[in-house]
Amino acid sequence: MAHSNLCSTLVTIVICMFAANLNVASASEETNELQRQLLELRQQLLQMQQGYQQQVDALEQRIDALEKQSDQSVNQPPAMAAAGGIPAGISVLPIGLSGLFAGGGSSVDNDALEKLQGGAHDPNQNGFIVQNVELSLGAAVDPYFDAQANIIFQIDSDGETVVELEEAFFLTRSLPGGLQVKGGQYFTEFGRLNQQHPHRWSFVDQPVVLSRFFGGDGLRSQGVRLSWLTPTDWYSELIVGMQNAKGETVTSFLNAPGEDIGGHTLIDRDARDLGDLLYTLRWFNGFDLSDTVSMNLGVSGLWGPNASGSNTDTNIVGTDWYLKWQPARTQRGFPFVSWHTEVLWRRYEAEDAGTSNQETLKDWGLFTQALWGFRPGWVAGLRWEYATANGDTAADPLRDTRKRLSPNLTWYPTEYSKLRLQYNHDWAEHLVGKTADTLWLQVEFNLGAHAAHVF
Amino acid sequence: MKRLRCILLALLLLAIPVAGHATIRIVTTTQDLAALAEAVGGEFVEVQSLTPGTSDPHFAVAKPSMIRKVFRADLLLIIGADMEIGWLPPLLQSARNARVQPGNPGHLDLSGAVPILGKLSGPVSRALGDVHAKGNPHYWLDPRNGVHMARAIAERLGELDPDHAAEYQRRSQSFAQTLNQKFLGWREELAYLDGQPVIAYHTSLVYLADAFGFRIVDEVEPKPGIAPSAASLNALLTRIKADDIGVLIMEPYYERRSARYLNEQTGIHIAVLPQSVGARKGIDSYFELFDAIVTAFKDVEDK
Repeated sequence: MAHSNLCSTLVTIVICMFAANLNVASASEETNELQRQLLELRQQLLQMQQGYQQQVDALEQRIDALEKQSDQSVNQPPAMAAAGGIPAGISVLPIGLSGLFAGGGSSVDNDALEKLQGGAHDPNQNGFIVQNVELSLGAAVDPYFDAQANIIFQIDSDGETVVELEEAFFLTRSLPGGLQVKGGQYFTEFGRLNQQHPHRWSFVDQPVVLSRFFGGDGLRSQGVRLSWLTPTDWYSELIVGMQNAKGETVTSFLNAPGEDIGGHTLIDRDARDLGDLLYTLRWFNGFDLSDTVSMNLGVSGLWGPNASGSNTDTNIVGTDWYLKWQPARTQRGFPFVSWHTEVLWRRYEAEDAGTSNQETLKDWGLFTQALWGFRPGWVAGLRWEYATANGDTAADPLRDTRKRLSPNLTWYPTEYSKLRLQYNHDWAEHLVGKTADTLWLQVEFNLGAHAAHVF
Repeated sequence: MKRLRCILLALLLLAIPVAGHATIRIVTTTQDLAALAEAVGGEFVEVQSLTPGTSDPHFAVAKPSMIRKVFRADLLLIIGADMEIGWLPPLLQSARNARVQPGNPGHLDLSGAVPILGKLSGPVSRALGDVHAKGNPHYWLDPRNGVHMARAIAERLGELDPDHAAEYQRRSQSFAQTLNQKFLGWREELAYLDGQPVIAYHTSLVYLADAFGFRIVDEVEPKPGIAPSAASLNALLTRIKADDIGVLIMEPYYERRSARYLNEQTGIHIAVLPQSVGARKGIDSYFELFDAIVTAFKDVEDK
């Protein structure tokens, strides 16, 4: 190669110069000066060599690139290249499968346990439970839309397999002005936890107050929402949404006929006009209090009809806050401390069809949970919950006064698996013995697409 | 419903149009990229890094304050090769900024500008630990790659801001020149490492080995991302003794207990190397990063 010829010529020149210098030096004994020059020459030579090496590298890269191009043009039918131009071997549809399993035992029987564990993905029977097997698919559709679908497989207490279309929605990618539209079937953006899928929960079960207000599967429905990132100095997002109010996943609203809330049986009520849809408003803020502490604050509201009468409405408001400390130096994201609290209030206008019975059901509840990631892979958690309602509710498992304390310990062997041990101490008015003690062990695996670390 | 509409209208009126800006707003996923962008962009750019140099960028989380930064960015620089896979996709989805979406001029994945080591071919299994099929993403630890990265950033800045394209080229060339010169000095200072066997904590320092001519013969982690066990440490201990391995290198954010144990048992020297700009106070530029790495190695040599 021309380069190596040039190189060897240079080396010869340098050696000649070096030899000439050496003669003079031995005569005049200016050894120091010589050494300095020698070092300089060596450096210059090295520099030159490096320069050539870079050129050779660059050429090699170009050759590689060209070879690859020609390989592709040989292997790919021209029609495909023209259509998408996505190189072979790169998946454009990440697929993930997550499995969540639990086993455990309680001081109370299965009937009582089902009433205590109100979430459809909660472990709720003595023995083993397949809590949630979730298939997620999501990617960019084109330059204008992202789309995602989450399909759930579950085995119920009778051993039957249940399939649910949990979410399937699109999201805009390039609306101006900080706007974003989401549409389809999706979790309502109320509070922080309602939007989280079971495999992202920090505890094996969902909070009592969420099971009461939003049902076993969380509040989700079909609709559309607009979100706006406001031009403020801090992160501030405003969300306005409208969704169908009917279905068993819209529990506090039209729900399903025949269901029961506070002793009122629901009728078959359909949407007659825009006023019969479910409206969401959420204002969500994020701040960095310092380099190591950040905080999220949100307030949310829901307005919609309920099916206890033909003109009755429900209103739910809530506030959520989340505080996280993480030192500057972390290993795999550890250590950290986080604190997450949500308080929710519900006002439910209840009637009984065909009578003049009327009352307003007022419920409220809260959960507050702290996590401490004390060493890489290990998290200790503690959750405290309270839920209560007005009226004579002692016998109603969905409206009585309840308290629950849940310490737990989670080990993440890698980002893709976890093992969790949780103890629940329940105190519930409706329980015969008032209290229940339960121990759960949970295992999770994740396959396929890399799970996201969301704040 | 009427009240709701009123509130919304009021909030919309609050949205005052953002005034135009003269400088290019660059957001980078790491502080190393930020240092390079500052070196190349100079006074024509405003640079923010999403993660601090003190933490492992693979395990960051998408915080709302980051979404805000990406929302306002003109150019997003990423390490790529799945380094940010856990948090950048949800961040980009929430940031609603078409300019910096992959495929647009405001999105630059620097892994495309450098020769990537450790690309895997054939079937890849997570049973092998935290493996990166797209290759090892810690390429900024080879100063020669710094040259490629600076050039790629200058080219992209020139496309986004043609008025100053020549200035970006000039800055990137002068940066490359200084870096090449300094690299020779660093190599000379670390000449004692040439061909030496070295133990690393994680598979993240292969580019450093490539640049400075030492050989990483084993890792403290038995598999990438898997914490060492007593058994794996003892196996390593035997190997250190048998092969007479003198140096263990690791990033500052890994636990030190395993390294201390190996040091006590075998006398192996531990060099805690800052892996990124910002990993320690006083490391504010790409040059200072390698100055600090060289110093850490020299400290070990003196022992």
